[in-house]
Amino acid sequence: MEEQWIKSVGIDVGTSTTKMIVSRLRLGRMSSTFSLPRFQIVERQLLYASPVHATPLLGADEVDAERIGAILRDEYKKAEISLSEIKSGAVIITGETASKKNAQHILHLLAERSGDFVVATAGADLEGVLAGKGAGAQKRSQSIQGNIVNVDIGGGTANAAFFYRGRAIATVTFHVGGRLIRLDEQGRIQYVSPHIGSWLAAKNLYVQIGQTVTFTQIEEVARQMGRSMLDYLSGKERKVSGLLVTGGHLQEVLPIEELSISGGVGELMRTPQVENIAEVSRYGDFGPLLGQMLRHEREQGKVAFRWTEPEQTVRATVIGAGMQSTEISGSTVHIKPELLPIKNIPILKLELTQEHMNEPLRLGQEVRNVYELGQRLFGESGGIPFALALSGIGYCSYAWLQLLSQELSEQYTTIFPRSRTMVVVCETDMAKALGQALSLRCKGVPEIICIDQVRVEYGDYIDLGEPISGTIIPVVVKTLAFDEQA
Amino acid sequence: MEQQLDMLVDKVVAELQKKLTEMARQTGHPKEQKHDEAAAHETAGEEQPVVAEEPVRMAQVPHPKWQEGLVELLDSTPARIGVWRTGVRPLTKTMLQLRRDHAAAVDAVYGEVSQPLLDEFSLFTVETQYDNTENYLKRPDMGRILNDEGVRLLQERCQKRPQVQIVVSDGLSASAVDANLRDVLPSLMDSLKSYGLTCGTSFFVKGGRVASMDHIGELLQPEVLVLLIGERPGLVTAHSMSAYMCYRPRKGMVESERTVISNIHRQGTSPIEAGAHIGTILSKMLEQKASGVKLVL
Repeated sequence: MEEQWIKSVGIDVGTSTTKMIVSRLRLGRMSSTFSLPRFQIVERQLLYASPVHATPLLGADEVDAERIGAILRDEYKKAEISLSEIKSGAVIITGETASKKNAQHILHLLAERSGDFVVATAGADLEGVLAGKGAGAQKRSQSIQGNIVNVDIGGGTANAAFFYRGRAIATVTFHVGGRLIRLDEQGRIQYVSPHIGSWLAAKNLYVQIGQTVTFTQIEEVARQMGRSMLDYLSGKERKVSGLLVTGGHLQEVLPIEELSISGGVGELMRTPQVENIAEVSRYGDFGPLLGQMLRHEREQGKVAFRWTEPEQTVRATVIGAGMQSTEISGSTVHIKPELLPIKNIPILKLELTQEHMNEPLRLGQEVRNVYELGQRLFGESGGIPFALALSGIGYCSYAWLQLLSQELSEQYTTIFPRSRTMVVVCETDMAKALGQALSLRCKGVPEIICIDQVRVEYGDYIDLGEPISGTIIPVVVKTLAFDEQA
Repeated sequence: MEQQLDMLVDKVVAELQKKLTEMARQTGHPKEQKHDEAAAHETAGEEQPVVAEEPVRMAQVPHPKWQEGLVELLDSTPARIGVWRTGVRPLTKTMLQLRRDHAAAVDAVYGEVSQPLLDEFSLFTVETQYDNTENYLKRPDMGRILNDEGVRLLQERCQKRPQVQIVVSDGLSASAVDANLRDVLPSLMDSLKSYGLTCGTSFFVKGGRVASMDHIGELLQPEVLVLLIGERPGLVTAHSMSAYMCYRPRKGMVESERTVISNIHRQGTSPIEAGAHIGTILSKMLEQKASGVKLVL
């Protein structure tokens, strides 16, 4: 096989809007014919982008599954694509929508109905990273020396992701978004998100439901909110601005070289000036003002970093989910096609050092520790309790491979006697040799799936797709938490 | 005066070399070193082939404007970059490293594969008509044909018409065999086992060229043959091995009928992974009854 295209979809159900895209990814052979085959995703093309739909809700805290399903059916038809063509992709529920009552249920329902290997994801960290990739921040970070931050500001939350030399290094999420304060054209406040109450109080700002505000009053709230977020990111002030942070805080001040703002509010930064309450309340919320105030911050240029235009605004997250979520494994792997796809397996990490290589006893102990942790966390079932991620192995000799596979297989069958499949993810190119060594030992009980050249962390979840041309499998790594590593 | 100067230079060079080896010891691949020790423990008593350590690479640029960027560049290539200079010449350190690598390449060509290693895998030795290394280099054609004794040995000791025939040869680098055989060969045997393939009598060819496969093919008529052979050493590594594979090797085969995995060494194609993948390729050759450009992988 020399080259192949696979189709991938992305679906983003956000607080205020829902979008989908269809893309295709080109797998190209990166190695010469004299080396072991190595493939990479060499090109990602956008084929179709849906219009931006309003997210259908049932009341205030429930997503309307039926209507979302109808929107998607319609869009698939317009994109002229059938479910069977889709080999990969991701559905993501973002912002405040993720905490709505039936979000998890809908997520999985959509994933099931969207194609064979479309994965369901949620979580502000992943959302921020995907948006950053969709907005082009990750790619750009490869061409500069410092950190790039992309902040994707939607209706409910703002997800910031820091990229350094192509890698996502930190994420943080704020309660900053266009729909956190809603008002009508008279300036009467319809809704104030409870999440920003303490921040408003600390800032001595008063916005209450039923109150009628003037343009200047609401402008001040938007200005302060934008400023607070920027202050937190630059590390200028985090005590009050930290009240806007949801989830994990940044552990340290990361110097920022460039910043871009994507998302709906990022788009609103580009629209013409709003000058009165009627123009502000165009969408029934203060989003247009938030965008305008951020533009002012940019024009004043008081911050220490450079502002750049994102490649995408409203569609950054959905493009990230559709085009950037899929990776592929190494091409020399050990798999059983009939066992795939496998979805939502948690990662357990086995970090090896030279001591483990020298002392078989320590290796045995370390393997036992990891397996017992797995038993405590995920129980002992007939399925796949977890995927074991091996890292820290540089050069691996045959003798050491034997030792490793001995420890891994023997203890696995003892601790997880009912598990029918063992999944191992290696960082370096050794999956075929290790998979073969394991399966010669296990003889089918359990079956072995061993892949490599995928980097995962403890706390990630991983989805493995059906093999492409029998040798490579698409992999989606769902990063759940950055802050735990920091 | 001139003599004094010479002595001084010699002293400085000796000092530098000492420092260089110390540095290599401190920051050298500790994993591999320790691991080699561990392996030595396991097979204590046997003589271990000496595998020269690969030199440590580090940038010599004194005050790089962007340290991380330089490290990234170094990681992306084995080429000698970031070596700095003194006046218009390379640093003594760089020159010594280069000469050391060149010497290792020469040694690899003129060296011999360790006998205990061959014994470990029960490989008996046959020779081609190469006669001696000088002649081997000048007359590639003579490295493609076994001598009469070799032919007799094969006919006497080898299983005829095996499904898979494994042949090991020093080729242009004996140290490539020393460095990689212990990883590649058992991994390949495991792979054959998992594909359910059977293997004939393996042996070692001294003074072999790639096309010696053809002569061996005529003699033993295997379905597929794999030749693990030392590659022409370069200045990046002298321990690189290739695996040439062929469906029904015979006289008059053209190069396009051979399949090859090259660059097998610790810093290149992983030896154990290569071994495992060779098994996959052989099984595909048997399935498709083809090799080289006709084989669909």
